Amino acid sequence: MKKLPVYIFMAAVSLVMLYPLVWLIGASFKSNEEIFTSVGFIPKSFDFAPYLNGWRTATPYTMGHYFINTFKIIIPKTVFAVLSSVLVAYGFARFDFPFKRLLFALLMGGMLLPQIVTIMPTYLMWSFIDSDLLNTYIPLTLPSLFACEGMFVFMLTQFFRDIPKEFDEAAKIDGCGTLRTLFFVLVPCIRPAVISIAVFTFLWTMNDFLNPMIFVQQVKDYPLSLALRLSSDSTGQGYEQNKIIAMSVIGLIPSIAVFALAQKSFVGGITAGGLIE
Amino acid sequence: MKKNYSNPVGVSKYTGLLLTSPFIIGFLVFILCPFIMSFLLGLTDYDYSGSPDFIGFGNFREMFSNSEFRNSALVTLKYAAILVPLKLIVSLFTALLLSLEIKGIGFFRTAFYVPSILGANLSVVIMWQYLFTGGGLVNQLLELIGFSPVSWYGEPSNAMAIIVLLRLWEFGSTMIIFLNALKEIPTELYDAAKVDGCGKIGSFFAITLPMLKKTIFINLILQIIAAVQEFNAPYMLTKGGPLKSTYTMGMYIYDEMFVYNNVGYANAVSWVMFAALAVIIAAMYAVSGKAGRSVR
Amino acid sequence: MCRHLIPKAAALCCCTALLASCGRAETSAAVRPDGNLDECTLRFSWWGGDDRHEATLEAIELWNELHPEIRIIPEYGGWDGWTEKINSQISGGNAPDVMQVNYDWLVTLSRDGTGFYDLGDLGNYLDLSGFDSETLSFGMINDRLNAVTVSMSGRGLFYNSQVYDRVGAEYPATWQELLSLGNTFSNYGCYPIDLDIQSGGTAWYLAVVYVQQQTGKTFITMDGELGFDISDIKMALDFYKSLEDNHVIRTVRQRSDEDGSSALYQSAEFIGGNVGGVFEWGSAIGKYEAVLDENVLECGPYLTDGNGNSSGWMIKPSLMYAISSSCAYPDEAAAFMNFLLNDSGCAEILGTSRGIPASSYARDELEKSGHIDGLSKQSTDMLLELDTITVSPYMELSRMKDFYNTAIEQISYGNTDTETAASEMYESIKNYLEKLKS
Repeated sequence: MKKLPVYIFMAAVSLVMLYPLVWLIGASFKSNEEIFTSVGFIPKSFDFAPYLNGWRTATPYTMGHYFINTFKIIIPKTVFAVLSSVLVAYGFARFDFPFKRLLFALLMGGMLLPQIVTIMPTYLMWSFIDSDLLNTYIPLTLPSLFACEGMFVFMLTQFFRDIPKEFDEAAKIDGCGTLRTLFFVLVPCIRPAVISIAVFTFLWTMNDFLNPMIFVQQVKDYPLSLALRLSSDSTGQGYEQNKIIAMSVIGLIPSIAVFALAQKSFVGGITAGGLIE
Repeated sequence: MKKNYSNPVGVSKYTGLLLTSPFIIGFLVFILCPFIMSFLLGLTDYDYSGSPDFIGFGNFREMFSNSEFRNSALVTLKYAAILVPLKLIVSLFTALLLSLEIKGIGFFRTAFYVPSILGANLSVVIMWQYLFTGGGLVNQLLELIGFSPVSWYGEPSNAMAIIVLLRLWEFGSTMIIFLNALKEIPTELYDAAKVDGCGKIGSFFAITLPMLKKTIFINLILQIIAAVQEFNAPYMLTKGGPLKSTYTMGMYIYDEMFVYNNVGYANAVSWVMFAALAVIIAAMYAVSGKAGRSVR
Repeated sequence: MCRHLIPKAAALCCCTALLASCGRAETSAAVRPDGNLDECTLRFSWWGGDDRHEATLEAIELWNELHPEIRIIPEYGGWDGWTEKINSQISGGNAPDVMQVNYDWLVTLSRDGTGFYDLGDLGNYLDLSGFDSETLSFGMINDRLNAVTVSMSGRGLFYNSQVYDRVGAEYPATWQELLSLGNTFSNYGCYPIDLDIQSGGTAWYLAVVYVQQQTGKTFITMDGELGFDISDIKMALDFYKSLEDNHVIRTVRQRSDEDGSSALYQSAEFIGGNVGGVFEWGSAIGKYEAVLDENVLECGPYLTDGNGNSSGWMIKPSLMYAISSSCAYPDEAAAFMNFLLNDSGCAEILGTSRGIPASSYARDELEKSGHIDGLSKQSTDMLLELDTITVSPYMELSRMKDFYNTAIEQISYGNTDTETAASEMYESIKNYLEKLKS
């Protein structure tokens, strides 16, 4: 029972962490005036109409359609980001080659300009290449294939360096080539970090609003993050807040589920996959 | 000059180049091209209509005489200086807590990450208002323990606190990176420390912290970049006010870019931010002596 | 050495070429109307809420039945991020053919009048006889008709009748009455109206109305000349300060403390009845109505000086339609725009989802079927009796709003006196307007 204080502490913190989520679920049953005037989460009445209307949306498509669109972006993007970041980070961490310092500095440099200003030139670039591409998800997904998320490469590079060189040498003696060493020996060692970047890509893409706003034109191609904002028009006559909240509650489910599934893998590392066993 | 590449035997100096080639190609097309365009735009006067007019370094000259620019630079500096160390401490502490192998830890890990998933959700904005407005929860608590209520949103010197608190509350990603690294510390080290008579706190300073040096460095760099570019939190919570006391550089750039259609100037400001960050990070590499090791 | 320079130089050239393509749509000559309707696909973009989306989609369906050869692709969304999208599209020469545009975009995107298609050339298919010449002039820049007004809107005062009943006050009819209300309301710990310095910027707008009525001047003229001098601006700021001092409105600090950064219709103070009134465009009043009990929000009189002078109040086009300057099918786009503006069947479907139509054809249709009612109409009807001033698109520019709000925030916090704030604001506005014109 030594752990009881730990549990009490963790439970108290969890409450602070989770309260907005709980409140959000309650708010999806509230009217606009109740939402902005009561901090309690229990609504005056339960009515699932906001969920039904929210799912149906004001467009010809249901939320299901927007979910599928989102996954059409997220799945390739996550796979691309993980593969390319692992490869590039491996290159930086384990090999010596011409221009390495310069390239690594450029990699860091790529993170330093805010996206707010690079997004417009990027848009110009795509519409210059072929404006029909703006009716596809290519501008959103393709850059991930080229390790464009500098942060992931930077992070993985540091984690790769922590693995003792002896691992590579042992693998080599066992007859592994460069790529086999990477995928069968080194990646398992830093599995938590690799899974982290997959999860980060998933969550950030799920919430990302600016990129789809600029790069997706037609409503039928909107991902969920845009669909959630379809109804909110602060310049006009206002809107039913609860419907939007209900939609965002549904929209949070995949993110929370993915995190809950992945969190087990955030721990465990060298000892789990390395040579020590 | 001939250079020697210290690769293992049988590995050509091009293997690394080959592996990093996705980055090189992607960099040239998807990063360098927009970067150069952004830099060139920074030398122009452009507002989306018509064509950009080349004005040389006019935007940079204007910037240094502009009081709003100076203000946002100071705000950003202050914000980063307060937030980054606090966030590292909070994330590390939580990561230690969440690496405990107790029952139900999965639930706690998920719960602690939920704020980071919520991000810019409406509920967060409203929640913060319930907490920090005049008769809000925080003030009620303060009164309960005998302090006078504080003006959070309305007092320029306090408004920064509510933004910092939001970002502290969203510590998830930083914490995950720590969590990844914590479990790579071999348990043998702790056993050895125990034998040597180290207490829990002693072994934290003797083992955990030194072993986490690299990870702290990663998080420090990532958090500095994020804090200097901060846009979303003040945009959601304070709109930069009161009296522009939370008007960060990120907001300044955003407004110039998309609200005032002052594209050339926004890009020029971004490049100043770029230069400042580059200098800071280069200095950090130099100071930590990692520059040599990490690249060679 | 040279080997590395070549790819770098190539990349640089490439980027320069791309950069030069910014606004290439404008440099290439616009497609001339050919006088008949061809088979084509047009993109139509708008922002709005659910009711507008649903109505517009239905109207497009009707159009597709009538003109199956001209297919319309809708592009729509909420307001957040919409200007980012449109700006990028215009900059990339990839703008939608028909666009719903905001009034101040005429200045930001088409200062010399060439940013949008000249609708004056499209008379074959676009019938403008339903608009009076003044309404049409709002879309005119350098003798080119850039946009057509969809609906007009006036900014008026709306009151929470329950609060006024509780306090036992009448809606003010003169400025003096408004000022003296503060005293009555302070006994109940509440405020007769609210003014903000956020996106709405209502604080400055009301002060401008006051000064315009007192002096007969116009703050900023339609073509972007500053009509106020420093003393007029000071008068406006003094008026604002007197509202604060007389407990008519909350100070900026108090407002932030109570509402955070929320808009008034999301504020517990307004919903709970501590703030009894709002100054808002008739086209946007619905969101305030929705958070109060039904029929509680009422439209109040436009304040006068007490001697029969009721001038100075402001109206503006709340929404407009424009055709992209790079549109490849101008005739077809004009025909579709005509349908949106004038067609009786379309008017029935759209109703007042974009405000009360400015086109007399659409308005007559809606009046006949009794679709126009409510606060927005009441306030518009009252405005029609007054000698109104049309807001200049220059007054609505975001940068200008920043000047107003900065000045008001400074004096509200007591950081400067109105004298200094007025001269600073005057200089900023003067310089900015000059820069825009150069």
